Amino acid sequence: MTDLFQFDKDREASSAAKVRALEALLIEKGVLGSDSVDAVLQHFETMAGPFNGAKIVARAWVDPDYKKRLVADTPKAIAELDLPVGMAGAEGEHMAAVANDEDVHNLIICTLCSCYPWPVLGLPPYWYKDPVFRARGVREPRAVLREFGIAVPETKEVKVWDSSAQIRWFVVPERPANTEGFSEEQLASLVTPESMMGVALVAAPAP
Amino acid sequence: MFTRFEEYAAASMLGEADSPPRLDGKLFFSNRWERDVFGLALSLSKAGCFEWEDFRQSLIAAIARWEATECGTQPRWDYYERFLEALLDVVEASGVLSANELAEVMIARRPAGHVAHPNSSSLEH
Repeated sequence: MTDLFQFDKDREASSAAKVRALEALLIEKGVLGSDSVDAVLQHFETMAGPFNGAKIVARAWVDPDYKKRLVADTPKAIAELDLPVGMAGAEGEHMAAVANDEDVHNLIICTLCSCYPWPVLGLPPYWYKDPVFRARGVREPRAVLREFGIAVPETKEVKVWDSSAQIRWFVVPERPANTEGFSEEQLASLVTPESMMGVALVAAPAP
Repeated sequence: MFTRFEEYAAASMLGEADSPPRLDGKLFFSNRWERDVFGLALSLSKAGCFEWEDFRQSLIAAIARWEATECGTQPRWDYYERFLEALLDVVEASGVLSANELAEVMIARRPAGHVAHPNSSSLEH
């Protein structure tokens, strides 16, 4: 098979060697510092991602007063938690949380481009930038949500929040059933990025 | 504080042909060198060696070259292989490294004892 298609069996090792040589040369020339690459990547790996949003949601589930504060003043409430610096929004843009409950289901969207609460949710999925999703999410949110597998009852209001460079919304989903007695850590592990966008519910663990 | 640039860089590729692999809201790397090459591109652009948009265009071109390769000689799809190709192109175009220095990088191989496969990918530099 590999002979037929002339695949280079050594390709992975060769690419790895080139990357190592390139980095070493750039450091030797003083173009980059020895820790430049790690510093940049640390952000993606440990500082900004959906694990932050999940911790915030879990705290809101176990502490109703925190949930109120989170919705009232999101950056301030986020700052209460032990999260990396910059979580409340970098350089001026603010994040704002909206909570789902028995009367309201929230959906976040960006009709302009792809504004997204990146520090708490990580990188958005590819379809978030899709023009059809952006347009239909506003025009017929219930139909879009049905396609994501959420049938919102007619008695429940659907609110669509349009993110911008100034405000980036995220959703506090409803706490699922069968989670009585769960620790915050256990609860956080249930929270998905999609549930914090409002396109999914948090699934209840098996009883 | 460096949150803004990383966000801009990652989001600018979002949903486009050059979108990076993503798993559960995080970048997804299968190998250490993939992580490193991604970090190198970000670091060099942040350091002012080239505009991020120039890198993006280089990546789009590298992916297009792969797509245009005939089936028989087309190497297995690998996003970060194309990413490395694009980075080397933009490093060369921006003059960050000289032609001689880049040649050194191109001949880098795994440690002694291993011989590179003779049928190197036609897309590799």
